[in-house]
Amino acid sequence: MLGVQSPPGGYFGNALVVDVSDGSAETLPLPSDVLRAYLGGVGLGTWLMHQLAPPGADPLSPEAPLAFVFSPLVGTPLTTSAKFAVVAKSPLTGMLTDALASSHFAIAGKLTGHDAIVVRGACERPSALVIDADGARLVDAEDLWGLSAQDAEDRLRERLGKSWRVASIGPAGENQVRYATVSHDGRHAGRGGLGAVMGSKLLKAIAVRPGPRPGLADQPRVVGLARELRERSFGPATAKYREMGTLANLLAFNEISTLPTRNFQEATFDGAPALAAENLAEARTVARDSCASCSIGCEHIYKKAGGGGGVRVEYENVFALGPLCGVSDADSVLAASSRCDELGLDTISAGGTIAWAMECAERGLIDAPWLRFGDGDALLRALDEIGNRTGLGDLLAEGSRNAATIVGHGADAFAVHVKGLELPGYEPRTLQAMALGLAVNARGADHNRSGAYEADLSGRFDRLSGGSPHAAAALDTEDRAAVMDSMILCKFLRGVFTEPWPEWAGLMSAVAGWDLTGEELHATAKRIVLAKRMFNLREGWTPADDTLPPRFLSESLEMASGRPASLSAETLRGMVTSYYGLRGLDADGQPSDEALADLHLEPVAV
Amino acid sequence: MGSPKAALEWHGSTLLRRVTGIAARAVDGPVVVVKAPGQDLPGLAPEVEIAEDPVEGRGPLQGLAAGLQALEGRADAAFLSSTDVPLLHPRFVVRVLAALDDETDVALPIARGYPQPLAAAYRISLRPLVEALLAENQLKPAFLFEQCRVKRLGEDELLQGNKLATMDPALESVLNLNEPADYEAARARSAPLIRVQRFGALRRAVPDCPPEVHAATLGAAARQIGIELDDHVVAALNGDQISRDPELPLVAGDLVAFLAADAGG
Repeated sequence: MLGVQSPPGGYFGNALVVDVSDGSAETLPLPSDVLRAYLGGVGLGTWLMHQLAPPGADPLSPEAPLAFVFSPLVGTPLTTSAKFAVVAKSPLTGMLTDALASSHFAIAGKLTGHDAIVVRGACERPSALVIDADGARLVDAEDLWGLSAQDAEDRLRERLGKSWRVASIGPAGENQVRYATVSHDGRHAGRGGLGAVMGSKLLKAIAVRPGPRPGLADQPRVVGLARELRERSFGPATAKYREMGTLANLLAFNEISTLPTRNFQEATFDGAPALAAENLAEARTVARDSCASCSIGCEHIYKKAGGGGGVRVEYENVFALGPLCGVSDADSVLAASSRCDELGLDTISAGGTIAWAMECAERGLIDAPWLRFGDGDALLRALDEIGNRTGLGDLLAEGSRNAATIVGHGADAFAVHVKGLELPGYEPRTLQAMALGLAVNARGADHNRSGAYEADLSGRFDRLSGGSPHAAAALDTEDRAAVMDSMILCKFLRGVFTEPWPEWAGLMSAVAGWDLTGEELHATAKRIVLAKRMFNLREGWTPADDTLPPRFLSESLEMASGRPASLSAETLRGMVTSYYGLRGLDADGQPSDEALADLHLEPVAV
Repeated sequence: MGSPKAALEWHGSTLLRRVTGIAARAVDGPVVVVKAPGQDLPGLAPEVEIAEDPVEGRGPLQGLAAGLQALEGRADAAFLSSTDVPLLHPRFVVRVLAALDDETDVALPIARGYPQPLAAAYRISLRPLVEALLAENQLKPAFLFEQCRVKRLGEDELLQGNKLATMDPALESVLNLNEPADYEAARARSAPLIRVQRFGALRRAVPDCPPEVHAATLGAAARQIGIELDDHVVAALNGDQISRDPELPLVAGDLVAFLAADAGG
């Protein structure tokens, strides 16, 4: 019997589990040893999925749980800590997915009195789940169905009051597009189709209202650390984000042959200057903004053609809807990004799937003569059809892997995904540590759970010649991401930590009252990474899933320098083998009994 | 010369640091420095390997033998360079190595009026022959060339149909420094002319950056346009190699792009 007494500082010590079939709710105690072992956010969400997700359940079925998971740092004055994780089995990959987002929803959600809110079952009709310190209840949301997430959020807050915070889905989530997002305050938990999971439950929105805060173990120390961290957040490590935002990557990546173009057929894009922050910023920037409780302020909001407000611009949405689709017209790309926000679509998977379809259409595998690389109008049409599951969009709403299987005739050769998740904007042939990071990550092709591109761009080793050093670097960035995503702190802050493990242990200890060391926290990171892998293993993962699409292993690129960039299957396999060894996995990717025993996965009754 | 050539300064670097750095830019395999017994060497990049010549004063074949031995099993061929060639260009190294084929043991440039055995490519498999010659006190490279398959590369052949013609048209790659006057003349030359670019926040930080600067090293290039090459900045060399090594040698025609080290997006 696991007992919960006084929870550690920063925690409430429980998760609220709501069955939206009938609105009933139960409280799942979260033992202190589990909290210390998984922290919160992505880590705790992974543990909850092990506990609450029936093995083999269809992610879009009522029994599949959807977890909104907070962290002990949420609500503290620590910069960038107003974040939460949405965790579920992905309808796009069939494996674990976790998406982070930042807003006041994180703070309000936690201050309902729970470290996590888990939704199970399915509503009988479109509904919203309303939670505060008084409990959970369902309210009718028929009038919200069909609205964009932002409109639904605004409408619900008008109805409930401004003290409520809302996370909602757009039409794409309602239509169970397999890469639909969960959105709030213009921010998105983007990857893996969490909006579709919510839509499958006929749950349009979740509204939360904050109540009392949990105590902190050492409030003065937390305040002191927060002040210091805030000062450091104004330094050179975050200059890129503050001054131009992540879009600053685009022109630099083009220079180093790392900008995926036309469905990864090329790594440089002639139209890059037209989409570059260096050229767009002065003419287009209308505002700079930040997430709640953030002192960095990386959001750069650009003016759209024809008015109608601004659009948040990030490297990933511009890469995916621009170069990846061969579109260089800035108005078209900004309009497409805005349309993804309205529909509730993950821009990376949307762009990746449309780019696949463009290539297939040009090769005659899909009968869509209107869909061509470089055509901004076709891009917008495709997004609308996907969000509404009309025309070709019904196929593309399945994601590139599933769509390629349906189309057949070799279309899978052009589907650029790992484990079903479309690739972000990092060319793996010219970033070979990142190639490994993309291949082995539990979420699929992912730049936020593995930041191995850092190693490629460090100059410490040859980014075009993958090997054992690349494996060690990829593992290290994966470990650091696992802890940052569980505490939770924004990864844009990572450069300000000179000794991250002990520094993070100090933050956690001040909040929770633990005597955490950097070593223990590093072991926690490895536990979280392994727990994710074990969930996938349970759901059918095999070592063959830890690979890259055939395009990368069979087609070479030519760099601007004239040097060829190629990645053989043998080189990738060698790095995967090194990675397995460093992770303590056997050749089949299986952990030792000792590592399994450390996962704290004994069932807890709800 | 009055002091060891390896440690002579040239535009902020030593000759040996520069030549090994240029060689590293041109090849995928290891770079080996063969030093005389007890010789002190100036600072080198950590990946550069050092082999010791077992016997001093026996000329270039002795050094070649030691170098070939150090590379055995790890490469098929080696580019042999002296240390006193500050104008060596990576394209020259690539061009000479590319001349080796199945019918060739040595690719020997004939440039600026002379054969250049200290700017030539050699098969690693030549080591037994080189050692046999040393055992017979036949210490000149010409003795080796009599007994193996040598492809002689005239200037026209070196320059024809490749980028070397624009990067080093006078084949100054082989210009070595035998006398103090040679060294003074080399020092009097400007550092190589390179192109520079800045991206992202660095462009705002340095708004009036000239498109070209004279710089022999990455650190010098950064300094000239007001960029500190710290943990937050890296440079891409010709869109390819990423570095933040301030001593990375630059050559004429290089394009250096400075960008944020943090590529999170």
